[in-house]
Amino acid sequence: MIQRVVLALFLAVVMLFCGVSTYLYLGTKQSKIAAPPQKPTVSTPRPQAFVLPGTLYLTQSGAIYSLSSGRFHQLTAEAGWSEPALAPNGQYMLAIKNGGYWSDVFALDLFGNIANQLTSNRSATGMTDPSLDHWSFYPRVTSDGTLWMTYDGLKCDGCYDVQLAIWSMPYGAPIRQARAWTDGGYYSGGDVQPIPVGGGVIYTKYSYGPDGKLVGQLWYTGRAGSYGRALTDPGEDCRTPSLAPNGTEFAMICTYEKQISYLTVASWDGSNLGPRTNILTTQMVAQPTWAPDMSGIAYLAPGSPDGPFQLWWLPKAAYEPPPPSPLPSPTPGGPHNGPLPSPSPPPPVPPVKPIQVTTNNGFDATSPMTWRS
Amino acid sequence: MAGGLAYFIPAAQLAIEATGKVIQVTPSPSALFSPSPTPTPTSVPITGAFTVLLLGSDDDSKFNADHVLSQSMILVRVVPSTKEVTMLSIPRDLYVHLSTGGYGKIDGAYSYGGPGAAIATVEQDFNVHIDDYIWVGLLGLIKLIDALGGVDVVTSNPVFDDYYPADVIDPWPYDYQRVAVLAGPQHLDGLQAMQYVRSRHGDLQSDLGRSQRQQQVLIAIRQKAKQLSPEDLPRISQAIGGELKTSIGISKVAQMLPLAASFDNPDAIRQIILASPYTHGGAPGGSLYANWNAILPLVQQYFP
Repeated sequence: MIQRVVLALFLAVVMLFCGVSTYLYLGTKQSKIAAPPQKPTVSTPRPQAFVLPGTLYLTQSGAIYSLSSGRFHQLTAEAGWSEPALAPNGQYMLAIKNGGYWSDVFALDLFGNIANQLTSNRSATGMTDPSLDHWSFYPRVTSDGTLWMTYDGLKCDGCYDVQLAIWSMPYGAPIRQARAWTDGGYYSGGDVQPIPVGGGVIYTKYSYGPDGKLVGQLWYTGRAGSYGRALTDPGEDCRTPSLAPNGTEFAMICTYEKQISYLTVASWDGSNLGPRTNILTTQMVAQPTWAPDMSGIAYLAPGSPDGPFQLWWLPKAAYEPPPPSPLPSPTPGGPHNGPLPSPSPPPPVPPVKPIQVTTNNGFDATSPMTWRS
Repeated sequence: MAGGLAYFIPAAQLAIEATGKVIQVTPSPSALFSPSPTPTPTSVPITGAFTVLLLGSDDDSKFNADHVLSQSMILVRVVPSTKEVTMLSIPRDLYVHLSTGGYGKIDGAYSYGGPGAAIATVEQDFNVHIDDYIWVGLLGLIKLIDALGGVDVVTSNPVFDDYYPADVIDPWPYDYQRVAVLAGPQHLDGLQAMQYVRSRHGDLQSDLGRSQRQQQVLIAIRQKAKQLSPEDLPRISQAIGGELKTSIGISKVAQMLPLAASFDNPDAIRQIILASPYTHGGAPGGSLYANWNAILPLVQQYFP
């Protein structure tokens, strides 16, 4: 009898152990697709971290981070910060702080401390009518002290449309001194991502293409209020212009009205874009950003299929292969008998591939990055 | 064995509660709709083409739980042999003959008679046969996408809306909120994805515009779901419990999983929106008239 009780107890313990073990084992077999991204500062310095030149500023979960010498530093709290943009002198940066129903432009020092609040887009009426608040996005400042941004200041009565347009204003001036360069279209998504060039501005204009779909086009406007002109075709569906530091090339994203995102470059002569070249077609690329020394392009793209966006680096050699070395010429000398030896072809150059810099982060792919030499 | 059973209890519970729903079709079940034959327990791959009606509803506290509108209706036809997928979004404001009687916006069919009425209405008006339906509630989509860890979408344009319903974040469901979804490639969580597919005030094409966005997110969900393992099912089931109903039996779901994984080119999915000339405004109550002379040949071509 006692033996039976002991046996029953033993079997019960074994069953309990096996049951719990099976339960826990199955739990470990879950995919990792829902694992939350790590903060960039976790496990810094990263082993085998890839070192990019200078300091790159980028955003995750509402905080601005800098990446310098392979180390990430968190500059702001996770409080709605995004879209850092360095001033031309590199001494401070602009950034957006999103309050949920409004967003404002701030000037920050290079350590993330607030120096100035440049817009005040929260309505004085509070939350009674959220449409009285305003949005500012994609700030830029030029060396002449002009602040550029996307702003929804053109409100029409009785409209549902939020007219995002390109605006400029003197740096530090009140918003009443701002003027609209574009009209933001009509229920189209508007004009965003201004890049001041020369006396005008290049930006992404969203409008309805010939097939009735909303598409992005790079657009140029030389003076406030003028209609401007398209730099890319509707079918290319291009957006996110990024001007190279030497001012002669643009990188951009072209999606061809599909769920794809090619990294595209084109020359820029100050007036027109040259032919577009798709230099990356196998990733969902976002926010291409030129290195200050023109040694390559950093961008954001998923690190695993359909996963959060990671930081990637495309060396210049990947899209501008070095010119072939000159073929060896026959040695000068006396008369040569017989046929000239044919020069051996140069050894094939292995293709240069993009380098994944981070693996477990989740950078904000809608927030431009900015880079300091 | 016991541990394995316990582990899969949430999935089994969802399977019992949400799948294999028997459809009461109005008004004439035999003529309009035949429920799916009882699936065999074996996991035989599906080889024949089939059509599913996807239904999405605002099921917040503004509505009686049994009488919600189907604000999103998408017909999906899958042809396994050729790996063809066609998605046709039906405008929720389409003015049609309802299977429950009379005329009205097509989104009311579900409200009047549940999925059976919605299916019968689509079948009789579009002259199409529907094999199954999947209904998902407002929170269901959010929870599903969050349980998948978010989805990658190239949002085609900035989606800004000053009058977006605050029914998910606000206890008073009639409030509005501002939403701002910036354009371009990005990783959307459930709430952001819902804002992207639900907002319509900033789009000249209103409901038709958001239908295009709904199809983009559906394709992204399908892409992400390919990475799921069977061990993920309990977690997913717990997340979306109560926000999903379908006539598809659990064994048929098992047959569909390998089929879904074999479709690896999202650009091969045909997406159809019934904009002009298929529909035009001017119908009662701000609804849309259908140009059946254009719609029916289209449906006949892709949903034979």
